[in-house]
Amino acid sequence: MECVVQGIIETKHVEALEILLQGLCGVHRESLRIHELCLKSAPNLGLVSSELRLICDLEQPEPTWTVRHIGGSIRGAGAEQLSVLVRNVAESKVSKNALRLFYALGYKLDHELLRVGFAFHFQRGAQITVTVSSVNKMLKLHATDEAVPVTPGIQLVEVTAPASSENYTEVVAAVSSFCEYLAPLLHLSKPGVSTGVVPTAAAAAASLMSDGGSTTL
Amino acid sequence: MPIKWILHWQPNPGTTVNTQILSEVSQCAESINGVKEGRWKTTLSFYKAMVREQATANDFPRDFVGISLAEQPSKYFLVIRGQRLVVEAESSIQIIMEKSQSYKTRVALSFEGNQYQLGDFQLRVGKVVPMNSENMRGIVMEMEYLPISSWEKSHQIMGEFFDLWQEALSKRSLPGHFVHNEPNFAEYGLSDEYTVQHTAVQYANIMAQMIATSQSAQATRN
Repeated sequence: MECVVQGIIETKHVEALEILLQGLCGVHRESLRIHELCLKSAPNLGLVSSELRLICDLEQPEPTWTVRHIGGSIRGAGAEQLSVLVRNVAESKVSKNALRLFYALGYKLDHELLRVGFAFHFQRGAQITVTVSSVNKMLKLHATDEAVPVTPGIQLVEVTAPASSENYTEVVAAVSSFCEYLAPLLHLSKPGVSTGVVPTAAAAAASLMSDGGSTTL
Repeated sequence: MPIKWILHWQPNPGTTVNTQILSEVSQCAESINGVKEGRWKTTLSFYKAMVREQATANDFPRDFVGISLAEQPSKYFLVIRGQRLVVEAESSIQIIMEKSQSYKTRVALSFEGNQYQLGDFQLRVGKVVPMNSENMRGIVMEMEYLPISSWEKSHQIMGEFFDLWQEALSKRSLPGHFVHNEPNFAEYGLSDEYTVQHTAVQYANIMAQMIATSQSAQATRN
């Protein structure tokens, strides 16, 4: 399982966000360059259609591949009250020829993306990862060198933390309280619930840039 | 890593495998001074596509297997023999396959038995049984040579050891013999340097041969 929230920020405020994150997390950012292939089962394969994500980390000296399955999210009145999405995920590292395998098994490429940006990994009530990235599409198949932004001037921010059925309420609380610190710059919500950019972003960014993030939050 | 050959028992026409043969083979390993060193186990699952219309079942591979090896319990290997494809994954890929509901296990087999040390060689002799059953379907043997990891370079010494083994076993006049068939590793994109992926390919290969043997035996009987 994982807890996840997403939001967007204008690229001009990303530097301020980075300063804020650096101050909050106390760790250095890591560069992010991820090639993500979304695969869907052929129409007649499987009792229900299924979707897999094949993720290649291009930041590593030798690119590493992971296959990821995103399952259903927890349901019920309690889940709707949460400000964070809690969903099932399963991941496995795979050798670099995995795409050939999934094609052979009857999966088709639905779309592919290149995420470029940075990430922070830190412990704050939960093992939290924040990624800030521009999402790019490829003009030619797998041509990651010729990718162009899907939403120029806007970047995607994602906050995730691994959880289990036993501890997800604590993880949700940890993620929610962390998100509050970012509120002046961006609003984070469950994936699919778009809330746009926040009006206070410019002022908050200007303040962060002027004092280098030394303000105690 | 050390290279190994994986061999399967081919019964003489009209005969089948049984526990008596397995016990004779194990005794033979001890008779050539093999020191028993505990148990070993490999599991292999055949997968089949879950299709909404049965007519389309042939659009998907029928020789898709998943292999788990005792020496690498955190790993899982997926092989499609017809396409000469081997993929190394973590064992959690089984959860992904289960959740995506596109393939399910048709039959799962385990290969298990004893391990013997003979100097630089390791022999593992075991039975092939369907999971949750004691009904023996075959006999396999792993022959490992610890000092060498090059398939090519080990070929001569492995061949010589196999001849010695066959000779020792022939004294017992068993109704069959071990067969060594080399897969073409280069077709799978594997190099001469032995890896655990080579082992997975060998298992998929002997499984296919055991099925072919039993099918041809059945055809003869019919």
